[in-house]
Amino acid sequence: MHGPAALQLTSEGRLKHLLTTEGLSKALITELLNTAESFLSSQGQPVKKAPLLRGKTVVNLFFENSTRTRTTFDIAAHRLSADVVTLDIRTSSASKGETLFDTLKNLEAMQADLFVVRHSAGGAPFFIANRVTPNIAVINAGDGTHAHPTQALLDLMTIRKHKGDPANLSVAIVGDVKHSRVARSLIHGLRGMKCPDIRAIGPGTLLPGDLDHLGVRAFHRIDHGLAGVDVIVLLRLQKERMTSALLPSEREFFNLYGMTEDRLKYSRPGAIVMHPGPINRGVEISNEVADGPQAVILDQVTNGIAVRMAVMAMTISTQQDLVS
Amino acid sequence: MSLLIEHIKIHSPGGPLNNQTAIGIDQGLFVDPNRLQSPDRLDGKGQHLIPGLIDLRAHLREPGLEHKGTIGSETLAAVRGGITTVLAMPNTDPVIDSPAAVRLVLERAEKIGFCRVLPTAMLTLGGKGLQLSEMAALVDAGCVALAQGSRPFGSQKIEYHALKYAKSLGVTVILDPEAPDFAGGCAHAGYVGTGLGLPLNSPLSEVLGLGTDLELIEATGVRAHISRLTTATAVDRIREAKARGLPISCDVSLAHLLYTETALVNLDPVFHLERPLRTEADRKALINGLIDGTIDAIVTDHTPHESGAKLAPFPETETGMSIIEATLNLLLTLDQNDELPFDISLQAMTGNPAKLFQKPGFGQIAFGLSADCVLYDSTKPTHIDSSHWISAGHNSPIFGQELPGTITGVWVAGKQVQN
Repeated sequence: MHGPAALQLTSEGRLKHLLTTEGLSKALITELLNTAESFLSSQGQPVKKAPLLRGKTVVNLFFENSTRTRTTFDIAAHRLSADVVTLDIRTSSASKGETLFDTLKNLEAMQADLFVVRHSAGGAPFFIANRVTPNIAVINAGDGTHAHPTQALLDLMTIRKHKGDPANLSVAIVGDVKHSRVARSLIHGLRGMKCPDIRAIGPGTLLPGDLDHLGVRAFHRIDHGLAGVDVIVLLRLQKERMTSALLPSEREFFNLYGMTEDRLKYSRPGAIVMHPGPINRGVEISNEVADGPQAVILDQVTNGIAVRMAVMAMTISTQQDLVS
Repeated sequence: MSLLIEHIKIHSPGGPLNNQTAIGIDQGLFVDPNRLQSPDRLDGKGQHLIPGLIDLRAHLREPGLEHKGTIGSETLAAVRGGITTVLAMPNTDPVIDSPAAVRLVLERAEKIGFCRVLPTAMLTLGGKGLQLSEMAALVDAGCVALAQGSRPFGSQKIEYHALKYAKSLGVTVILDPEAPDFAGGCAHAGYVGTGLGLPLNSPLSEVLGLGTDLELIEATGVRAHISRLTTATAVDRIREAKARGLPISCDVSLAHLLYTETALVNLDPVFHLERPLRTEADRKALINGLIDGTIDAIVTDHTPHESGAKLAPFPETETGMSIIEATLNLLLTLDQNDELPFDISLQAMTGNPAKLFQKPGFGQIAFGLSADCVLYDSTKPTHIDSSHWISAGHNSPIFGQELPGTITGVWVAGKQVQN
């Protein structure tokens, strides 16, 4: 293992940062998911308050805008009783010319315990984890087109809850896999969980050229790609894909790849439909499917809070043990 | 004062003195040792003597970028790498696009430089790719070639005019093939860059750019040197173009001979280069291109930076590596790894570049030629230690490594500049 995958683990294989799902073992992912489930009440909602991070300071460093991810990290930190500071860097010192490195050193001096980082440059959380003092945990909340590991973990949690062990499942990811950090992290996570059949479905302009290397089969036709799958993961389509001539129109995308009740029939009965949100109705998904019984999109959001609580608790606990 | 270097093995492939065991230096020239009268004597103790290396692409940073390096620091670093002649790239601040700037570089080199500095200048004013620079005046002032410093031309038509004008003056142009539409990205569009989520650069960027360059070279007949090939396809296109008789030569950078896209796995910004590291198949094709003569020269593309330039997430760092100081050691490394025979890499950094830029006085050890040479011990490795690094740029991937060969003396025009 190299780079982010290596840096996030201690020599004993414990999680001290979460930078990527690449290289995470099935045992470690399972431990994370079990911890996350322990934060859910018997009604399936995240517990309102746990004292695990009392006296700890969590700093949300969002160099790129985000509402949902940031909110769920906020809620997760509060539920663990941490003090939370949220810095919207676009409006703070970075726009006055301070470098990321100097911003970081300043925050370090304020005795933070955990950084949650979202950045438009792939590798930025790795850079931060590499440069901060050893006892600060770094959680990647999305970096460029590289990784979004907490999203992948909440997806795995949702899959496991509804369909069981991914080692027995077929999973199809539909849409803009090429530009998606969500897709990359989910693929690595599924591979870690020994999922035997991972597929990517989309036109040539939206699929990366080296899927084989990731252990993923590429399909351009959705009827072939969905045949017999247990899990369908839809990705959000950005408007800029049309202006950069990767796609003709949203309408054409929906006509070829939009998830409709008819298309759902290609998959295995009872297959679940997931989406990292926010969904575009009539582009990636029809109203009927979005509001239908097979969609588990809102469940993903709920699981997101529990997963982020688990990741925070685990990384801070590892860091504490490293200090003592 | 004359000097006799004896008990050496002269390594100057194809030259008249190859394998001789002694050489004389007098009045700045190589001379017959038997003609020296009571010279100083240097016992080479069985070491190798090679012609001083010629680097057709390095950034010496003056004027304007002295915080990254100076002609003083970078030419001393060059000499420590066995280099006695450097083509200085024109993308300084301001860029070299006026006779005064060319003269400034020459004067600084004369005053504080340790090796020969051959200035290049911009083909277009400000390097902006829009208006032609005063090429005749630039050549008069002493620039040896005109380049665009890897900046794009405003249009294909402007490139065509620049090449046509250069042709009418008989000037050599240096081109960095890149299709503007495909430019950008900091990693090769392969599995490593994709996996790391880095902005990608397709090989098409180089191949399409080269296609345009070759057509315009053919149309204008200009003498052109294509700099920094990175892809196997480009090597094929150059091979075909040379077979057609186009007046071209080309080079490859040391980094592209040594490393591939897999060097990026740790996101070390040292490997963030202007032209990305590509696949192992590309690297092999570049080496084979040198072996079969398609590629004429090896360049260092030495690009020193201050530490802050690399202190950011990978895609946001500045491009380039500081590597000139270990040039000879790295050529010997490629030989030791059975990848590129030293005879070929030596030719690609001596005889070939000397010929390309009509400097027949350098690049060879022969009586009557300028005494530019390097004495080195092939049995003693050099430990590359950042605390002994002379270049102002510490953006180097080789710190802590032990590389073959130790340079014990460098002479430029008969004057010892390094021992």
